[in-house]
Amino acid sequence: MKKKKIISKQNKVKEPQIKDFTRSGLEKKISRQSAELRSKRGQLREGADREKFAQKEIDIRTKAMEFASDCIFIIDAIKSNFPIIYVNPSFFVLTGYLKHEVIGKSYFSLNGFDINLSIAQEIKQALLQGKSFYGEMLNSKKNGDKYWSLLRITPVRDNKGVITHYVGIKTDTTLMKRRDLEIHEQREELLHVTRVGKLAEFVSSLAHEISQPLAAILSYAEADQRILKKMETQLQESFATSKFSKKSEDSMPAQIQAYFPMLQEIIQNIINDDQRATGVIRRLRELLKKNKPTFEPVNINALIKDTVALMMTHITSKNKVINFELDSNLPMIQGDRVQLQQVLLNLISNSLEAMEERPESRDLLIKSFLKDAKTVMVQVRDSGCGIPVENMKKLFSHFFTSKPDGLGMGLSISRSIVEAHGGHLEAENNIDCGATFNFSLPIGIKENV
Amino acid sequence: MPTNIYVVDDDESVCRALRTLLMTFDFDVKTFNSAQSFFENVAGDAPGCLLLDIHMPGMDGWETQKRILDSGSKRPVIFISAEKKDDAAQRALNVGAVGFLQKPVNGQTLVDLINSASKK
Repeated sequence: MKKKKIISKQNKVKEPQIKDFTRSGLEKKISRQSAELRSKRGQLREGADREKFAQKEIDIRTKAMEFASDCIFIIDAIKSNFPIIYVNPSFFVLTGYLKHEVIGKSYFSLNGFDINLSIAQEIKQALLQGKSFYGEMLNSKKNGDKYWSLLRITPVRDNKGVITHYVGIKTDTTLMKRRDLEIHEQREELLHVTRVGKLAEFVSSLAHEISQPLAAILSYAEADQRILKKMETQLQESFATSKFSKKSEDSMPAQIQAYFPMLQEIIQNIINDDQRATGVIRRLRELLKKNKPTFEPVNINALIKDTVALMMTHITSKNKVINFELDSNLPMIQGDRVQLQQVLLNLISNSLEAMEERPESRDLLIKSFLKDAKTVMVQVRDSGCGIPVENMKKLFSHFFTSKPDGLGMGLSISRSIVEAHGGHLEAENNIDCGATFNFSLPIGIKENV
Repeated sequence: MPTNIYVVDDDESVCRALRTLLMTFDFDVKTFNSAQSFFENVAGDAPGCLLLDIHMPGMDGWETQKRILDSGSKRPVIFISAEKKDDAAQRALNVGAVGFLQKPVNGQTLVDLINSASKK
């Protein structure tokens, strides 16, 4: 009987047993209550453990946010002025603001450091509409310094889906932006040098083309002058000796005589004006006389990489792939960096154009290797349309171009640059498809011829 | 017997004009558009002075002059070039040429040079 009751007590602890006031009943009550207490204590301990665990979790997450190198901030979305309730240390480091200048302040009032007002407006609209924001912008630090940042703000929702907060992440992109800008500037500079170089070369070729016929005209005029003089003398002689002389006074008629000085004067004017034009052309060529290249030790592989870096966006936008086979043990060569870069730029853009019409040809290969103990070779090999045999001979001459808008100066300039370095620039068609341009550069100091 | 003059210049009109001018001085002038065709048509020992352009496709003036020297020919050579190079005149004399004239050449100057070269 007793045994039975204990069992029931254990099973149904919480069942009220009001009527039992006997001694044994009291004992039962105590033991029941102590069991109850034990169970409560267990529950409490369990709860405390769970809390401890949760606290640890929160600690880790908080620490992670504190140590994150990106700026992280939290905005209270319930309050109408969107106050900032948390920012991590990176935020202070980047912006230069102090804790009390940020915490509790409306996020919109801090939009002051977004320089572009339209972006600030865009962020405000996103927050008011419960949307997220993504964008890159120029900001200003507390001390006025400018920096570029990539900002992402996303809403944080509670279990019911109500937006309670916004979490923002701000990444400092100043360095990346600056590098982009530098690359852009370098490319612009190089293009400018190329354009100016092309123009100078163009004008100088033009000057040569014009000076040849001018030289010819001068010789013709001088020949004319001499023939005229001979003619005058011969006519005078024949008048003096022939039958004409009997009619007049031993000389040719005055009207004919008068033509000779007139013709002589006209021819002299032709000569004078020809010489004037020649002088203009000569001065023009003097003016355009190429600046001597500055020779310095150049690591050709580094130069190749630098040049390709400048063109990478272009290459990628054309959906082409550039491959390298660069011999890492090449000695330095002596050369003018800008000029050699111009040659590479030219060869690579030619290759890209040759592959333009062939979407299936994507590979461009740049090789560098030691040809012999004294010569470094660079090859630019494309998988484009190749060079028609009839164009091979004229390829490097001024004004030769196969492009509708080409000047025909690129390859001729490239060749003269390579030759000024004591090397050779040549082209050949590949066996499979496309063409390879290769140029050699001697190692060590180039002797002036 | 008129002095023979050979003109080698890749520019056709320069050739023709020089021939016209020199004919008024009673020279016998033959013109060639390349050094190659000059060598093919004129024997090394044929008498005459050579007026030689420097910048030409194929064999240029310097190479042409070297080949003449190497062949043992005593042919007088006068370089004529549109290129103004300060050292070209000196270089021309260094490689054994009679002289260097810049285009456009003055007829009398050229003839004086030819005459002095032919007397040597």
